[in-house]
Amino acid sequence: MDPAPSRLEFVATFEKNAAPGVFKEFDTRLARFAPDKPEGAKLDVTVKVTSADMKSGDVNRAIRGPEWFDFAGFPQAEFHAEDIRRVAPGRYLARGVLSLKGAKKELEVPFAWQESANGATMEGELNVERLQFGIGTGEWANGSTIGLGVRVKFNVRLRKEG
Amino acid sequence: MLANTADAWGAPAKFFHWTVALLILVQIGLGFAAALWRLSPLKLELFVWHKSTGVLILVLMLARLAWRLANRSPALPPQTPAWERNAAHASHALLYALALALPLSGWVINSAAGVPFSVFWLVPLPSIVAPDERLEEIAKLAHFSLLVALCLVLAVHIGAALRHHLAKRDDVLLRMLPASWRRA
Repeated sequence: MDPAPSRLEFVATFEKNAAPGVFKEFDTRLARFAPDKPEGAKLDVTVKVTSADMKSGDVNRAIRGPEWFDFAGFPQAEFHAEDIRRVAPGRYLARGVLSLKGAKKELEVPFAWQESANGATMEGELNVERLQFGIGTGEWANGSTIGLGVRVKFNVRLRKEG
Repeated sequence: MLANTADAWGAPAKFFHWTVALLILVQIGLGFAAALWRLSPLKLELFVWHKSTGVLILVLMLARLAWRLANRSPALPPQTPAWERNAAHASHALLYALALALPLSGWVINSAAGVPFSVFWLVPLPSIVAPDERLEEIAKLAHFSLLVALCLVLAVHIGAALRHHLAKRDDVLLRMLPASWRRA
């Protein structure tokens, strides 16, 4: 993956407002992927949860804590998929498992694939229910102030290797 | 009677005065509650109420300022000494300035903090400055200093109104109250 142009963003809701954030550090590897025959490919994503930035000092301090991302206990999240299928020309669905804050849940990640001279771009978005991963526990588990659904968007630039 | 006259405030002036007065009292309570509450959903809700009330006060004060400038103000009693006239004008100008500057400084805090906010959960408030933690700290200090100044000027304002009513026994306070309460 080429980190410079690659983006992994999320949009939470805060008092009914969009509250955008970004994971500054993450890595994506896609092995054995052929656009016309994606079966047998393997997608591995690792996300440095502690690189989360929500553009506000107050919010960034709050999300470190055990009720939210728990940076100390779970600094890294992973997504692994070995079931990738084509759903339309240039469009794919990766079914795998997301490990986040100690929880493992099956997740379907749709993405568009576009090849270029020396690599390709994967782009897509999906919803993640934060309570499935114990993010925002206790009195925050009620979604009225901080919404329960989080939109995750990615635009990943992959380079051909070896 | 809508317009002000030489010896009476009209209904809009009274409405602005007492509505803003009540909102400022509520606002001070909400501000302290929100600032001092432990981090919790309730704290965030209190801040939405505080910020929303601040925007409401700002809008009302702008309308009130326009109404005041478009209208004459009732005259002070003719025997009022010059220093009292000057003090009255200065304190009224300060009250207007503070009632505008407090919400504006709060808006700067909210913008500098980078926290998204919609007025009463409905109308998104645009940012007036970019996120900046140092500016946020400066604006918080300014917001609190302005509050202290407002409390001091309000004490003078309320004290002077009571002095007019109780010591000088003129109708300066009564003419801001419903017309039917005025001395015959």
